[in-house]
Amino acid sequence: MHDMTAHAAAHHAPPQGFIRKYVFSVDHKVIGIQYTALGLVSAFIGMALSWAMRIHLAWPTASIPFLGTLSPNGAPGGVPTPEYYLSLMTMHGTIMAFFLLTAAPMAGFGNFMLPIHVGAADMAFPRLNMASFWVTFVGFVLACATFFIPDGPPLSGWTAYAPLSAVGAVAGPGQGWGQNLWGLSIALFCVASLLGALNFIVTTIDLRTKGMTLSRLPLATWAWFINAWVSLLAFAVLLPTCLLLVLDRLGGTSFFIPGGLVINDKMLPHSGGSPLLFQHLFWFFGHPEVYIIILPAFGIVAHVMPTFTRKPLVGGWKVITYAMAAIGGLSFVVWGHHMFVSGMSPYMAMVFSVPTLIITIPSVIAVLVFAFSLYGANMRFTTPMLFCLGFISLFISGGIGGFFLAQPAVDSYLHATSFVVGHFHFTMGLSAVFAAFAGFYYWFPKMWGRMMNETLGKIHFWLSFVLVYCVFMTLHLMGLTGSVRRYSQFVADFMVPLTPTNRFITIAALLLGATQFIFFYNVIWSRFKGPKAADNPWQATTLEWDTTSPPPFDNFGGRQMTVYHGPMEYDGDAFVMQTSTEKSIAGT
Amino acid sequence: MSQSELTMSTGHEVLMESSPYGMEKKKLGMWIFIVSDACTFATFLFGYGYMRVGSQNWGTPFEFSSILNGIIMTFVLLSSSLSMLAAVRATQAGQKASANKWLGLTMLLGTVFAILHLREWFKMIGEGWRLFYNPLGGAAQFGACFFSVTGLHLTHVISGVIALAFIARGYNQGRYDSSHVETAGLYWHFVDLVWMFVFPLMYLMNAAR
Amino acid sequence: MSSNQELSMGSYAGIVIGLMIIVGIEVVLTYQHLSVRTLLFALLCLASLEAFVGVMYLMHVKYENRLLFWTIFPATLFVLVLLNYLWPDAYRMARMSLGR
Repeated sequence: MHDMTAHAAAHHAPPQGFIRKYVFSVDHKVIGIQYTALGLVSAFIGMALSWAMRIHLAWPTASIPFLGTLSPNGAPGGVPTPEYYLSLMTMHGTIMAFFLLTAAPMAGFGNFMLPIHVGAADMAFPRLNMASFWVTFVGFVLACATFFIPDGPPLSGWTAYAPLSAVGAVAGPGQGWGQNLWGLSIALFCVASLLGALNFIVTTIDLRTKGMTLSRLPLATWAWFINAWVSLLAFAVLLPTCLLLVLDRLGGTSFFIPGGLVINDKMLPHSGGSPLLFQHLFWFFGHPEVYIIILPAFGIVAHVMPTFTRKPLVGGWKVITYAMAAIGGLSFVVWGHHMFVSGMSPYMAMVFSVPTLIITIPSVIAVLVFAFSLYGANMRFTTPMLFCLGFISLFISGGIGGFFLAQPAVDSYLHATSFVVGHFHFTMGLSAVFAAFAGFYYWFPKMWGRMMNETLGKIHFWLSFVLVYCVFMTLHLMGLTGSVRRYSQFVADFMVPLTPTNRFITIAALLLGATQFIFFYNVIWSRFKGPKAADNPWQATTLEWDTTSPPPFDNFGGRQMTVYHGPMEYDGDAFVMQTSTEKSIAGT
Repeated sequence: MSQSELTMSTGHEVLMESSPYGMEKKKLGMWIFIVSDACTFATFLFGYGYMRVGSQNWGTPFEFSSILNGIIMTFVLLSSSLSMLAAVRATQAGQKASANKWLGLTMLLGTVFAILHLREWFKMIGEGWRLFYNPLGGAAQFGACFFSVTGLHLTHVISGVIALAFIARGYNQGRYDSSHVETAGLYWHFVDLVWMFVFPLMYLMNAAR
Repeated sequence: MSSNQELSMGSYAGIVIGLMIIVGIEVVLTYQHLSVRTLLFALLCLASLEAFVGVMYLMHVKYENRLLFWTIFPATLFVLVLLNYLWPDAYRMARMSLGR
């Protein structure tokens, strides 16, 4: 490749003043931290909502005083009504899936690290980047605002299935303005994600420094790049879906509402729409979405692991990258497996079932690459490494459940049970969260210039790891007994014997939540009191470790970064930085 | 701050890998935006198709006068693409006066398109068409599909005219150069080409015959 | 990056007039009392032709790096093809409402 020298353009000095520097900043590092902070706040809110749900499930008459204050109608005396339980569930899903899992691993770490990984001074379109964050933020505020309007949050789940989500206030509390705000919030989130994806793609393609060929890109960057393409195409379909939903609700159209619906003794004027159309369009986005969540997790693990196994991944950069690309592509052709019991054409069920089983192949390849890379490793059991191992474990455990759910016949039994809840919390929820923790512990020194406390980190890992299995493996078992998801109380006869199991899950979930305070404490303490981080505390090779901690405004202090090696030049304690002119030691 | 701006601030040139696409990043960004926007339009059109296939007695309400109006709109939009190309050519040649003339013409044609379209809309609304009501007694989905698909397109045209106005201002103030105009031109052609699908599917497929 | 001077303004005008002629053909076809299915097929083919010509010439893709062509077309067509998975359910909906 011949070199291209950048064109001269207008000169920008680092911004002065608090607002330009930390609030409406165009610096990708600040935006990355803003996204990460948004993710942490979302995680806390989502987690608190799940505690309320779990407490209510295990002790149906228990009063949760906070809920009573938040919504006197939804939880009179602190005991949530069945409708309010669904509201809690909806907001737990929305906040966790969109504002934590979609935003943090991709937009949070990605914004901070991707330009540094490729050796650029900023993203390709810094102002667009700032707009992405603030649009996301407005979406987040709108989603949270639903708690404070009289009706409360919507109760149609994060998937907002029509016609429940489309018919308006007649369908129940929260289905009026709560659902309107939800639709607007997600539409804004789509716009922000599209702009972010565009920015990631162009940055990766156009802003690579000299020598940073595609084969030398760090694997996290590969994952973000592939993921940006998946986001681009998936959110492009969710956006019009949200618009059509809002039209149904506010414009009186009937895209998603069938004729002859009687809800709460009221005949609806709509006719001729199709709830299946909504499910198709939603899951057209929704299935790629779960891979939008997990691909950055793969990338982070692939980036972090070689640093601590002190050897390249099995198969070099190619196998894992091709596997991620295959997952990204296949993720678009399997959405119907969410709809096996929706009344979809049974022929389509077969059409969707086969690719669903096929997509396990690249997923298994990716996970086996991680697992085989442990063989013969000179392992360093740091906290980020432990979380990578936790990720592998959780993804395999959750993935095995996928084989059951991919088959229409088995899925018909399991579909609306807590088996599915356990399955997706393992695969897309906690796998991604564990990978995000790995990334957080790994990059914290670079982002804030201080080391995190390793002891607290390890306690955090081991408690989380054990408790996650207690909660979600048990949910799998509950699902096999026929325990239905989305029910706020287990009143059916066959469910009553499960009450002790339910209480076990709740106690484990509360402890799991409490464990996260160790993490919050560790973050706050380390941010201010942690030992100063060296430039390269992990003895890693990629460009972010080739600058100060935290990096200066232009990332490399005006140095020309020239890259000579791939990202996985490890051989035991020896390693070669990507910018080093030394000879390769790992042959990557 | 971009890599190119770094070059200025540090006083030496930063060497980079060449772009595999060999085009400016804002142009590539616009292309990627166009890909996603095409998918957004496609979703609307497929939704329309779904509604139409699933409905009984789908009406074909457009008399030839509406079709004629549509043909004029199409020709106006296609002409605006030509004037946009001329504007890009003029900016590349550095002919500021000519560029302004062609940009102005493009915006004018875009506005004419929007006015013709809104006239059609108001005529239909006057006849009783609503998002949820079909005055001819056929499927009520017609209004929903027609107004939402053409409304999305009209929004694109109007935002395109506004964007062109900003670009033209920046160009005259010397903040923008021919590449900005060219990038805006890509968007403009895209909106034009979307109409090449919207017109046959929304108008011709619903022509009374 | 404006090395795309291969076409003169005259050729552009010719292309745009050609697109207008295709629109004319579409309108003529509309009034030929074709079946809905045939008309839809013909209109979609002509519209796709217009879009292809527009993207290749008006939007210069023919004169850009070929990688651009191989990026935008597969990405867009991928989504367009997949959205066709909606049809079986659309036709079932039609049959179900007829049976009611």
